[in-house]
Amino acid sequence: MMAQVKSNKDIILDGLWRDNPIFRQVLGICSTLAVTNAVLNTTVMCVSLTMVTALSCLTVSLLRHWTPANIRMMVQTLIIAFYVIVVDLILKAYWPEMSSNLGPFVGLIITNCIIMGRCEAFAGSNRPVSSFWDGFFNGLGYSLILLAISVVRELLGMGTILGFAMPYFSTPYWDKWIIMVMPPGAFFALASIIWLCRSIKSKEAKS
Amino acid sequence: MKNNPFFAIFYMFILTAFFSSVLIGFARLTREKVQANQQIAFERALLEVFPEIKLTSNAGVHQFFIEHFEPAPSGYIFRREGLVKGYAVPVEGQGYWATIKAVIGIAEDRQTVTGMAIYEQNETPGLGARITEPDFCEAFNGLLLNDEGPPIDIRPAGTELGVDAVHAITGATQTCTRLEKLINDGLTQWKQQQKQQGVQ
Repeated sequence: MMAQVKSNKDIILDGLWRDNPIFRQVLGICSTLAVTNAVLNTTVMCVSLTMVTALSCLTVSLLRHWTPANIRMMVQTLIIAFYVIVVDLILKAYWPEMSSNLGPFVGLIITNCIIMGRCEAFAGSNRPVSSFWDGFFNGLGYSLILLAISVVRELLGMGTILGFAMPYFSTPYWDKWIIMVMPPGAFFALASIIWLCRSIKSKEAKS
Repeated sequence: MKNNPFFAIFYMFILTAFFSSVLIGFARLTREKVQANQQIAFERALLEVFPEIKLTSNAGVHQFFIEHFEPAPSGYIFRREGLVKGYAVPVEGQGYWATIKAVIGIAEDRQTVTGMAIYEQNETPGLGARITEPDFCEAFNGLLLNDEGPPIDIRPAGTELGVDAVHAITGATQTCTRLEKLINDGLTQWKQQQKQQGVQ
């Protein structure tokens, strides 16, 4: 595979904005829809996914000179599964309530397309440090969108952010939009964010 | 060398052995903590099925469990000031995806359900996993166990309910069917134990 030479600035901007995994590549949507009904759950999911992506990319890159091309995807899956199980064990041991809240979605990080996508598209043909930052900033790009969605959903649906009551939204003047913390609310919020970000992006391209 | 098929097999074997060894070590390191958390979750569920018990911190839950719950065949006896206040029956069985573990609380009359709490499940989020929601669990409060046949019934939403039945969750038929079976298996076994001890 030909190595893509990217500057650090490109790695950061691509992960966060230009090639954002959620609104540009539309990857990792399953967990986006599932865990964004509360900001705390979303934050833990985002930290877990960012660390798994960054460390998986680093490991895949470190092993790239020895990994035979015909088994590379098996090796990538093994590495991703390793880090996901480590995260799962840490949550089960030190934060059981969060482990229970996130349920099977921690284990399902293994199947998140963003991680395999970055391992295959970047880490397999680039240096370890660049690969680590590429994974990290893609995870961060995913996290920013998820956090934006979860803030909107929790605020409109429950009148709180991180469980803390918000002025006006937690008072009787605000009729809570319960649908926002239910599955249909995730679709409305995700579609709105994708529409908003893509509109800004197309204006940037025109200018 | 990388293109040699034997190298690919050897390489995969070594990598798998390495990552598995690290994981086994890590799992051993956290095992005690994970088991302690599972025990607390079980004890908390045991207390939850009796509405008169007000839940406190983990330490408080453990202390209350030690002081008031006495192991008995197929369950626990809940005593307060020497008097039997109820029975807690742990039940478990296969759900749609993984094992479901729950506790059923029964009043001292051995007939009235005081509560149901699920402390382990891995069902589909938004569908089967809704069996842990308060609305569904609270529907079990006050059910009367059948003397003959299955002790309780989970019926499709919208159907008429008897004193032994609750409504299933729409869209989670498989989970509810399995939950009904594992609850009935556990309760039937508990009732048989009670009969053998000659308390009925």
